[in-house]
Amino acid sequence: MATVDLSAPRGLRQRVSIVHWGIASREALAGYLFTVPALVGLLGFTALPIIASLVLIFLNYDLLTPPTWASESNIGRLFGDARLLVVYRNTVQLVVGATFLNNVLGLLLAVGLNRSMPWILRYLLRTSIFFPVLTTTASLAVVWRYLLTQDRGVVNFLLGQIGMDPVPWLSSSRWALISAMIYDVWKSCGFLMVIYLAGLQGIPAVYYEAARIDGAGRFQQFRNVTLPLISPTAFFAIVISLIGAFQIFDNVWVLTSGGPGDASRTIAMYIYEKAFRGFEMGYASAVSFTLFMVLISLTLLQFWVARRWVHYE
Amino acid sequence: MAATLSNNGESAPAGRRAGHSPWYYLRESVLWVLLVGIALIEIAPLTWMFSTSLRDPKNSFDLPPDFWPTAFHWQNYLTVITSPDIQFLLFFWNSLKIALIVTGAQLLTCSMAGFAFGRLQFKGRDFLFGLFLASLMVPATVTLIPSFILIKEMELINTHWALILPSITSAFGVFLLRQHFKSLPEELINAAKIDGATYFRIYWQILLPLTGPALSALGIFTFLGSWNNFVGPLLFLRDWDLYTFPIAIATLRGYMGSGNQSEVLAGIMISIFPILVFFLFAQRWIVQGASITGVKG
Repeated sequence: MATVDLSAPRGLRQRVSIVHWGIASREALAGYLFTVPALVGLLGFTALPIIASLVLIFLNYDLLTPPTWASESNIGRLFGDARLLVVYRNTVQLVVGATFLNNVLGLLLAVGLNRSMPWILRYLLRTSIFFPVLTTTASLAVVWRYLLTQDRGVVNFLLGQIGMDPVPWLSSSRWALISAMIYDVWKSCGFLMVIYLAGLQGIPAVYYEAARIDGAGRFQQFRNVTLPLISPTAFFAIVISLIGAFQIFDNVWVLTSGGPGDASRTIAMYIYEKAFRGFEMGYASAVSFTLFMVLISLTLLQFWVARRWVHYE
Repeated sequence: MAATLSNNGESAPAGRRAGHSPWYYLRESVLWVLLVGIALIEIAPLTWMFSTSLRDPKNSFDLPPDFWPTAFHWQNYLTVITSPDIQFLLFFWNSLKIALIVTGAQLLTCSMAGFAFGRLQFKGRDFLFGLFLASLMVPATVTLIPSFILIKEMELINTHWALILPSITSAFGVFLLRQHFKSLPEELINAAKIDGATYFRIYWQILLPLTGPALSALGIFTFLGSWNNFVGPLLFLRDWDLYTFPIAIATLRGYMGSGNQSEVLAGIMISIFPILVFFLFAQRWIVQGASITGVKG
C-alpha cells in the first residue's frame, strides 16, 4: 500500500487513503479465510490434544468406563516406575549412539561425495546411500529381521566367513539395542548426508581459495573453513536427529518387539503399550508428558548452545 | 540448488596440483573406502531382498545368500498378488488413496495459510503464525493418546478418515511455504492488485505457480510420510481390507510364519517398487527437496 500512496498524485493519494480502510479489512478477511483450514487442523489435532493430554494426566481412563479423577497421582507413579527408568536408559543410549553415528557418517559421506568424480559414479553412490531413507521403516525392519537372524541369517553367515562367531543380534539383551541402532543408521545416514551435502555446497569457493593462498592444507581447510561454516547445518541436523531418535517406534516394534524383556523397549513403545495394551490413558499421558519435557528442553538447549558455537555467515 | 547438487560446484577443491604428502593419499583412500563401503552396505539388503524374493520358497533360507538374482521364481509375486486371504492390490489402493488425499489436502491448506502468513496483513497474524511455530516443537508421540480418544469420540476408528483427518495440515508445511511466499517479489502482487485481482486469484494464479520447488518438496515428503506411516494404521485400523502396506507387511510376516521368506520379501518388493521407480525418475527433486526442507528449517 505504501508504494501506491507515495507514487500517486495528491488527489489519488487522497482517494486511496479514503478506501484504505475498506481494502485493509478485505485483506484481513482474506487472511482469516485463507488461514482457517490449516488452523482447524492445528487446533483440532495439535492444540486440543495437548490440552487434553494435560488434563488426562490427572485422570484414570481405560477408554471403556467414563474417566474418573485419579486418586493416586499419575505423576507420583512416575517416580516409582522402575521400568520407566530402564526404558529411558535404552532410549537415551539409542538416541546418543544413533545421532552420533548418523551425523558423523553423514558429514564424512557428504565430504567424500562433494569432490570431483565422474557424474555416473556420484549418481550411483548418492542413489545407493540415499534410497533406504525413502523406504518404509516397518517393512525394511522385516527385511533386517531376516538378515539378523541368529542361525541362518545373512549377517552371521558373512561374519562366519571372516571367522567370527555368530552374534545373537535380536535375542540377547546385550545386542538387541545395538541392532536397532545399526538399523537406524542404515536407514537414516543417507538423509543426513544429503543435508550436509547441501550445507557444503552452500559454502562459497572463495573461502577455500583465500585459505589456500594463506597456505592452509586440506585438513586446515576442513578445520577452519568447512567446520565453522557447516555448523548451522550441523546444528539443524543434530536437533532433528535427536528429536527423531527419541521417538523411534516402528524400528524396534518390528525388529525386536522391545525385547528380550525390556532390553530394547523405547519410550515411544512404552507409551504406546501403556495406553493401548494396558489401557492406562492417564498414566501413559503422564509418561508422554515427560518425553515432551525432554524434547522441549533439548530444543531450547540446542538453540542456546547454537548461539555460542554456530557461525552464521 | 539442483545444479550445484549435480555438478559438484567446485566448493571442495579436488587434488592440489603438486607434492601430495603420504597423509593426503591415506586420507583420500580412507574417504573412498568409506564412501564405497557404505554405499555397498546400504544397497546390499535391498539387492538381497530382491534376489531372495525370486528364489523358490523352499530354498529361501539357503546359504550362502544371493546379492544378485540367481533364480527367477516370479510366481512368488503372483502368489502374493493373487492370494485369496491377503488382498494385496487392495492394500496398494488403500495406501495410494490415503497418501493422495493427505498430500492434496496438505498442499492446499499449507499453501493457503502460507500465503496468508507470508503475504497478507491482518490482525493477530503474528500470533497465529506463532502458534504454528510453537506446534513444530510438539512431537507426534505426545499427541497420540488424545488424538486416539478424539478419533474414537468421532466414531472414526477403523475408517480411513482416522488416518486422513489428523494429517490435513502440517505446521512444518505452513512454515516452509510461508518462507517461500515471503521471498517472492512484492511488485507481482502490487501489479495484480492494481489490475483488480482478487486475493484468491493472486494466490492461485500468480503466486502458487511460483512456489514450485517448495510445493513439490512438501508434496513428495508428505506422500512418503503417509505411504510409510506405520503407527497410524497400527492404532486405528482393525480390518484386513482397510490395511495399508506397512501394517499389512508387518502382519504378513507373522501370518506367513517363518516358513515363507521369499513371499514376504516379494510383498515388500511390491510395496517399495513404486517408491523406487519414482525415485529413479525424480531423484533430483527428491534430493533437492530433502535439502530444501532440511536447510531452510
